[in-house]
Amino acid sequence: MPRAYPLPTDLSPATVTNTKSLVRIVAFALISGAAIASRLFAVINFESIIHEFDPWFNYRATRVLASKGFYEFWNWFDPTAWYPLGRVVGGTIYPGLMATSGVIYNFLQAIHIPVDIRNICVMLAPGFSALTAWSTYMFTKEMKDESAGLLAAAFIGIVPGYISRSVAGSYDNEAIAIFLLMFTFFLWIKALKQGSALFGTLAAVFYFYMVAAWGGYAFITNMIPLHALALLLMGRFTNRLYVAYSSWYAIGTLASMQVPFVGFQPVRTSEHMGALGVFGLLQIVAFVQLVRSHVSSKQFNNLLFALAVGAGVVGTVAIVGLTYMGWIAPWTGRFYSLWDTGYAKKYIPIIASVSEHQPTAWPSFFMDLHFLIFLFPAGVVLCFRELRDEHIFVIIYALVGSYFAGVMVRLMLTLTPVVCISAAIALSTVLDTYIDPSEPDLPVPEADETSGPSETTTDAPKKTKKDKTAPPPTSSGASVTELLSGMVVTPPSTSKKGAAKEKKTGIFGTDTRLAVILNAIGMLMFFVVHCTWVTSNAYSSPSVVLASHNADGLQLIDDFREAYYWLRQNTPETAVVMSWWDYGYQIAGMADRPTLVDNNTWNNTHIATVGKAMSSSEEVAYPILRKHDVDYVLVIFGGLIGYSGDDINKFLWMVRIAQGVWPDEIQEPKYFTPSGDYRVDEQASPAMRNSLMYKMSYYRFHELFGGGQATDRVRNQVMPKTGPTLDYLEEAFTSENWIVRIYQVKKEDPLGRDLKTANAFDQGKKRKRTRPPVRRRSAA
Amino acid sequence: MAIRWLRSPLLLLGILLPSLVSAAHSFENTAIVRTVELGGALVHVTTTYAIRALESGSQKYTVTLGEKEGQLTSFLEAKLKGKSDPLNVEGHPLDPTEGTYEYTVELPSALSVNGTVNLVLDTVQTHATRPWPASAGQNDGQAMLYESDLFVLSPYKTVTQRIKVRSPSPRIISHNTPEGVSFSTESVATLSGATVTYGPFSNIPESANAEFIAQHQKPVKVRYNYEHPVPEVKSLERTAEISHWGANLNIHNDVVLHNAGPTLKGQFSRIDHQTQVFHQRLAPHILPAIVLHLPPGAHSTYYLDLNGNVSTSRFRPAPSVPKAAQSNKYSVLELRPRYPLMGGWNYTFTFGWDSPLADSAGYDAKTGKYIVGVPLHTHIASSVVDKAKIKIILPEGATDVEVVTPFPPISQERSTVVTYLDTTGRPAFTFHYENLTDKHTGLIYVTYKVPLSAHLQKPKSVAVALLGLFAFALAARRVDFRLNKP
Repeated sequence: MPRAYPLPTDLSPATVTNTKSLVRIVAFALISGAAIASRLFAVINFESIIHEFDPWFNYRATRVLASKGFYEFWNWFDPTAWYPLGRVVGGTIYPGLMATSGVIYNFLQAIHIPVDIRNICVMLAPGFSALTAWSTYMFTKEMKDESAGLLAAAFIGIVPGYISRSVAGSYDNEAIAIFLLMFTFFLWIKALKQGSALFGTLAAVFYFYMVAAWGGYAFITNMIPLHALALLLMGRFTNRLYVAYSSWYAIGTLASMQVPFVGFQPVRTSEHMGALGVFGLLQIVAFVQLVRSHVSSKQFNNLLFALAVGAGVVGTVAIVGLTYMGWIAPWTGRFYSLWDTGYAKKYIPIIASVSEHQPTAWPSFFMDLHFLIFLFPAGVVLCFRELRDEHIFVIIYALVGSYFAGVMVRLMLTLTPVVCISAAIALSTVLDTYIDPSEPDLPVPEADETSGPSETTTDAPKKTKKDKTAPPPTSSGASVTELLSGMVVTPPSTSKKGAAKEKKTGIFGTDTRLAVILNAIGMLMFFVVHCTWVTSNAYSSPSVVLASHNADGLQLIDDFREAYYWLRQNTPETAVVMSWWDYGYQIAGMADRPTLVDNNTWNNTHIATVGKAMSSSEEVAYPILRKHDVDYVLVIFGGLIGYSGDDINKFLWMVRIAQGVWPDEIQEPKYFTPSGDYRVDEQASPAMRNSLMYKMSYYRFHELFGGGQATDRVRNQVMPKTGPTLDYLEEAFTSENWIVRIYQVKKEDPLGRDLKTANAFDQGKKRKRTRPPVRRRSAA
Repeated sequence: MAIRWLRSPLLLLGILLPSLVSAAHSFENTAIVRTVELGGALVHVTTTYAIRALESGSQKYTVTLGEKEGQLTSFLEAKLKGKSDPLNVEGHPLDPTEGTYEYTVELPSALSVNGTVNLVLDTVQTHATRPWPASAGQNDGQAMLYESDLFVLSPYKTVTQRIKVRSPSPRIISHNTPEGVSFSTESVATLSGATVTYGPFSNIPESANAEFIAQHQKPVKVRYNYEHPVPEVKSLERTAEISHWGANLNIHNDVVLHNAGPTLKGQFSRIDHQTQVFHQRLAPHILPAIVLHLPPGAHSTYYLDLNGNVSTSRFRPAPSVPKAAQSNKYSVLELRPRYPLMGGWNYTFTFGWDSPLADSAGYDAKTGKYIVGVPLHTHIASSVVDKAKIKIILPEGATDVEVVTPFPPISQERSTVVTYLDTTGRPAFTFHYENLTDKHTGLIYVTYKVPLSAHLQKPKSVAVALLGLFAFALAARRVDFRLNKP
């Protein structure tokens, strides 16, 4: 047998197997280490801190869970959120994340390793990323082999698309959800392959965990039925499918209904109807199979037709009827926005206002996935070549995932695992082909052995084509089982030697091999460099602490915590703080004060009220503030240091959301200049300049420049010479870089005057000393 | 396990009470001069008693503080003039009928008739001043008001007496002149520069009784400019953890800091503050930073608050020195709160450090005991600690523990702390103090034995746990749970 390079021949099979498993374990340990370590940039550059917005709520809830116990947490009513409505926290969250941290925390406490709950929350996502790598390995192993599995694990470990949601401190539901997603899919594939009720049940249990952990569980709820349906339509119904799906659906649905936030949704909302429908369909098909084995072919065809039509009509009528009667909730707006990307902007601005709900820009695919995005289609094509049941799953997942990733930036997360899997399959196939030392010229002794799988893969589609109209006979299921078991039991040594290969084709010499392999290694190395760069630069900022580089090196801008801590320490505990909803969770977590609205955007009217107060003039806003017992108003202002994520840049969303509820009082066009520009300088429209948000942002801003030109560094506009004045609020605190500005709402005047008059009167006494400003005011 | 207290305040009370009665006529004060060094939260008072014995063999001299004065006094030390060794002082609780606190000072040697000695009494008063006006604008100055009593009380007759009140800043804004003062020959109060002098008053009878206080005692009020902020530590919780495995002494402090200066009038204006900082004319009641002196050798300092790490701090470490050597260098830790602390504002934070255990611990081979000195508290310049809780956690399995405190605590308790990989827990001692000042910076000495088996407890328990895990894995791999054996 000709070989491109010599192989050692004196190795016993046991040595090979042991070495392989040792190498696998070491590789796996390294992958886990890399996955965890690459997520620690945020901790090393900054500190062990909870990031962004939602994680602050999760952290706060976890602290309640850890300190007061599970039942207290379950029944937790939070009167400080959505003041004065309050929030039933236990019934409106996915408790999986908090419960996971709570269990870890209590376990560590029990074995006398006291770790601060904050550190557990911070490190949860990196820890689970190692588990995700492991479950991706298991999943890919089912698709191809161990080497592809290891590659997939390495990819998912460091790919930025996943790191973006799982850096240390990013304590969000996605931190554990991707592991659960992959593991549930793995168990599903396992259950499907073996027809095992045990694995089906395990899949259901992990599905339950997923439901308890993330709202994105609906992805599994629809992926598995879609896979089952596709198999059914391809004529691949088997008893294994029946067992796997039925056990998963029955147990999984019942379990998922135990989560209070989900409740009866699995039987009452449209998103879950697909799973129910496929469950029903499988029962019918299974029944038909049973009938078919007992009656003749002619009768059977008639029966089948009647049954199919009848079931279809009855099912559709039932679902439509129940929807009309209100038993099944129609699709929600969030769902429509998945199909029509302009929908949210028109009807539910609050969803569209979130940056991660925007459609994905093309460059971000490369940024998040690097060269995997090129290998991804190749991997999917390779799946077509074999097209076993599990490969269909990957193909469907790839299609669905690609679509959703294109619709919403945040759904890039669900695409990432399948990209890693497909790319790993493709790359591993390439490497298998080119590392394999055997050359094609001479007869290959193992040709029979290796050609086995390739024959079966060509067989399977033929069969399905033939039986497309009718469900295949049970015997075909058995034959597929044989083939599958043949595949699974194939000794690992053959996989090392290469994938399916035609007898007459192959690669000669080492130079071609080296060219391709070195190329592949080069790509992998660039991938690592890219991942490290993206992770450290784009995804490791806590956004609570900002960093700026200047001549002295790294400078931390800690204004958020400064202002929140000031609120916490120097205001009464019952002081109600109004801010735009983005900061609600942070205020609750860091300042520990009641807020009007927060990131759990369940009450659109309440948010619109805040939007209205922010976008109206002081006189209009004041009664709103007083009616809601607002003591402090908090705005984010980046004009001094050029922090672009400030409230003036979000202001149009406040206007739009307020306009949705009060179209007569707030009109978006009024906030633009006549020429249609969004400006804050001299040309700003009167509505803009009188709005509370504008006044609070720029109050006394021009004084900072000591008579020079006051420039807003975010919008690069020169501010007017005279700044806005405030009558109904007074500045209470401004952080060091002016990012956070807090205003106190004045109480009503004790003499019964309106505050504007009272203010004018107070300043009138100083008329002699401050004549110029007064004259200007009267002129205006 | 024995706990020994030095200078327990009530120990000798019963023995001393009878002798006090007869002591009243054994001395005469030829002169009493009290100097009050005004400050922010702390006021240092030095009273010099020129004593003449009227009876021979008189050795126990009694000094008296008025009711309010006694409550404010958190530190008291008596010395002979020119000597540095403090004399033995026994404190007594408030005498409710006379309204006085009495302290018995044991003179080093008994005096013969007409023998004289000069006794210097150093006291520190806390919370004796308050801002007046009670609120001030962001650009205003800070004025404090000190109130005290005119006469120094004494159970003995006093020939002449005088009080000097000295302000740290050159300007005393105002002071009162008590009306109808007895025993006065000249003007009651004289202001010269930064000092107000009350007195001299001559031939004062025994004054440590309710009758005298009601008839003759007058208030003294001095209002003065104070150029420094008035920080006040509302509570300090210090945990000192001694670790033999890590050769480390960790000191962890939870501090509730309050600016006890005049409360901010109106609202905080950042632009005014930035103008002040730019011109380097920070208003005196604003506390921008605090400076702490940590022992040499301190490392791994941390400074956090409830929202995480505070990045605005500076640490200048000093290398550790051998135990016996006197170090004149400190590690300096400069902490800046997240926001400048205006009058009346609070700031809660946590700071701590590690230091090599060898710097503060010794081993006595004769008794087989370790001795560790733990600093009682780290003083924030011119501040007072209202409530302090100091907890010392000893290594697991420490026995024969003895604790010696430099100042008697209000109360103390023993508990067990279970932390990293402990099985039986670590013995811990907690001491409660109130009104700690710059004078209270001593060491709490702890001596204890740690047997070798206790040292090895941790590795043993970890090894047992891991072996158990391995054994379980070994067994679990060999058990077949399948129903259908292939």
